[in-house]
Amino acid sequence: MTDSPPSLINRRTILKGTAAVAAGAAAIAAGNYWLGAGRNPSRAAGKKVIVIGIDGMDPRLSERMMAEGLLPNLAKLRSGGGFRPLGTSTPPQSPVAWASFINGAGPGDHGIFDFIHRHPEKQCEPFYSAAETIPGEGHWDVAGRRLQLDFWPFRHQLPRTELKRQGVPFWDYLDAAGVPSTFYDLPSNYPASPSHHGHHRCLCGMGTPDMLGTYGTYQLFAEDGPADPVDEAGGKRTRLAFDNDTARARIAGPGDAFSPTAKETSVEFQVHRDREANAAVIDVLGHRIILKAGQWSRWTPLVFEQSLPMQGLRGICRFYLQEVAPRFRLYVSPINIDPSAPAPSISEPDSFARGIASRLGPFATTGFQEDYKARTNGVFNDDEYARQAGMVLDERLALLERAIEDYEDGLLFFYFSSSDLQSHMFWWDSDDRHPIRSAPEAKKYNEHVRRLYRRLDGVVGQLIDRYGSRATLIVMSDHGFANFGRQFNVNTWLRGWGYLGPPECTSILKDVDWSQTSAYGLGINGLYLNMKGRERDGIVEPGDQREALLAEIVERLQAVTDEDGRPVIRGAYRSDRIYKGDATALAPDLVIGYHRGFRASWATTLGELTEQFLTDNDQAWSADHCADALEVPGVLFSNQPIRSEKPTLVDLAPSILAQFGLDTPSRMVGRDVF
Amino acid sequence: MTNLLAWIAAWLSAGASLVGRYLLAPVAVLPGWLSATAIGAVTGVLLLAVFKHTSNQPAIHCVRNDIDAHLLALKLFRDSAAVALRAQARVIAGAARLLLLAVVPMLVMAIPVTLVLAQMSLWYEARPLRIGEESVVTLALAGDASAPWPSVSLRPTDAVEVEAGPVRVRNRREVCWNLRAREPGSHRLEFQVGDQAVAKELAIGDGFMRVSLERPGWDWSSILLSPWESPFRPGDPVRSIAVAYPQRSSRIYGSGAWVIYWFVVSFVVALIFRRALNVKI
Repeated sequence: MTDSPPSLINRRTILKGTAAVAAGAAAIAAGNYWLGAGRNPSRAAGKKVIVIGIDGMDPRLSERMMAEGLLPNLAKLRSGGGFRPLGTSTPPQSPVAWASFINGAGPGDHGIFDFIHRHPEKQCEPFYSAAETIPGEGHWDVAGRRLQLDFWPFRHQLPRTELKRQGVPFWDYLDAAGVPSTFYDLPSNYPASPSHHGHHRCLCGMGTPDMLGTYGTYQLFAEDGPADPVDEAGGKRTRLAFDNDTARARIAGPGDAFSPTAKETSVEFQVHRDREANAAVIDVLGHRIILKAGQWSRWTPLVFEQSLPMQGLRGICRFYLQEVAPRFRLYVSPINIDPSAPAPSISEPDSFARGIASRLGPFATTGFQEDYKARTNGVFNDDEYARQAGMVLDERLALLERAIEDYEDGLLFFYFSSSDLQSHMFWWDSDDRHPIRSAPEAKKYNEHVRRLYRRLDGVVGQLIDRYGSRATLIVMSDHGFANFGRQFNVNTWLRGWGYLGPPECTSILKDVDWSQTSAYGLGINGLYLNMKGRERDGIVEPGDQREALLAEIVERLQAVTDEDGRPVIRGAYRSDRIYKGDATALAPDLVIGYHRGFRASWATTLGELTEQFLTDNDQAWSADHCADALEVPGVLFSNQPIRSEKPTLVDLAPSILAQFGLDTPSRMVGRDVF
Repeated sequence: MTNLLAWIAAWLSAGASLVGRYLLAPVAVLPGWLSATAIGAVTGVLLLAVFKHTSNQPAIHCVRNDIDAHLLALKLFRDSAAVALRAQARVIAGAARLLLLAVVPMLVMAIPVTLVLAQMSLWYEARPLRIGEESVVTLALAGDASAPWPSVSLRPTDAVEVEAGPVRVRNRREVCWNLRAREPGSHRLEFQVGDQAVAKELAIGDGFMRVSLERPGWDWSSILLSPWESPFRPGDPVRSIAVAYPQRSSRIYGSGAWVIYWFVVSFVVALIFRRALNVKI
């Protein structure tokens, strides 16, 4: 027996070789990850589609201004490609409309019917329709701290915010096909829906909360403020007391996640005023800011410490020194989630917002970036609001510039909120009496809207110059605009006809008697029947009683006229006839469509009743779009010929997919417009 | 006593700045990671040498041998609880003795390390202002809150534009300006305080420049931490002048991070060179 010759490849060699190969592969993978920033290769093959979403851009005003030669770039798109009024959603509210754009299908598919929905099992408890915060379950008490541990063996449920939009967003189809898509400030997508293949990025827009979990809460510190801090809708007022020209105060922050009572956190700051210089110095968390009266600060970082160390939540805010003397007034903007360290996440992927912040610096992240609550509550005057909104637009234009630098191919979507939230305050396109302004003032501020359109036209011009025919350019809006001079209280009207009781009822959330109530209004356009088996205390039987009641209410609603004989309601639409899809559980029974000039009253939105069902709108918020969808279409411009004569919002998703050679998915109801 | 300490700190800082002016000058042209690594490596070797000559090397050698022996005993007699426990106790005692033996060299090195770090902070703790960038300058007046306010002004210069100020913070006797950087370079901001003129350096530009955050008052700790500009003396009308420079963002040579990086590099280099220099640590 002879020994076999020693093998050249023994076990040790194999192990060494395997280890070396594995290390090499890991190194290459790591290198690729870092060099490629973890992004997958694009399969868009150089195809570019750019969509500019201009919230609230109105086709009538656009046409008038194009005719006057004031929107040359949009006119260029119209002549080179096409322009159409764009059919909007029913109702024409932004969360509904943008969700329809996202799904390429209507509310029956995405399940968003109004800004405000209600839980029928809790009778009519309202919640924001696009997202809902679900409280956590289970915790562990340790030394007076409340710990939630979501891993085995504890498995506590952490509080979370759920996106309520249902269905399939159109970018999922792009994502699956390897076509990159990037969205900036996309409404109706908070929290951001995940990308399954790594080709989709999104910075959340409308619906993103501030650090207080609200949709924008400013804080006003004033010498003449209330002795005890007061919360008002969308704001807080606190008195400042000066000692030797220095005052201390605290900026309210989010609740402490580790406190059993979720006690409010805050950041202390000092303000030193110098009346002679008409200026003030603000010291906050080691930052010193000098502001002259009427001056805004840059974004200032704030850290709200929690009961556990190293768990501070980071936000950003801007200070605005309204007045030094005689009444010192310092405005603090809503505290936005810091995009450089977002908690919670405000983008998909999570790193997207951080990446933007590292290149652009801090930027506004709340869904409503214009501080409209400060205007409606009288903290800002018109000029102050216009200036703040202008700063938002400047910041977004800088973001657009970065977005374009970062864009190679695929879909780029960029959203502008300015046209919507400035039109709400400044739009007035008739000689009718304005709710709060004299005729010359109304004209002056309407001119501001026209200047805004011209500025956005300039943005379109830059894109045309930059891309020409090398990209499909789509400029669209979710709806148009109309004056809002008279307001209709649905519940008061229902009470008048005996559909809602008792006669002295003041609110459906407080003193309504559900046994006397067959119908109620909640939200801006929704009217619900108090259905047995659906509402907790329902009394209306399904079947004949429901049918008869709906027919009666529709007929009476459409007959409502104002004191001067003008019809108020253009149409009352049965949701079971206008919505198709499997997400209709929370739909109202009727959607009320108003004529131009009218809208649901402010009190209606949260179920309150007033003495009269038709009253003047007395708010600075003097224009709106929550009318009948036929009254307020949006706009569609493109550098591609638009084949469809009557395009609607739901057509855009199939049209974008078609640009990348993808068929229209079966669940979409829209069709390619090109 | 505090006056004496301030004098000592001022002399030491002046000496360190004189040396740092030339030795750290290459930082201005080298990539940040390279200069930070080079400084960490050189100081690591130097501090190792200082440790060698200021520590009791035979005693350290002896304690280390003792610890090794007890670690060996732990391995050999793991079945005997009494021996193992005794060996563990002696290992811990040995570690404590090593710490004690390090006290003297640490004390010796404390001041030079502080001076080196203070010089490094001039380069890495903040970055110069960029053109168009705004910054707050705070001039703290001497005297207590009840003392009369002298007239204070900032002389106009092409280097900066005054956006706001002077704004007074009465209860702190401070005067502030908001400045916008206009011209690159190392500039002097000149202030007139009553009938006296005082100045503060201002760095504007990209890349690496020596950035002095504060011209300190007559306080030994402030002088050590802000070594570049001569401190204000007790009789001066000004306590200090500070410029709020932006933080430098880098995980190696950024604000705050550079100290950790320096510590890691100097420690690793010291470990590498300890055999070559025959140093027991």
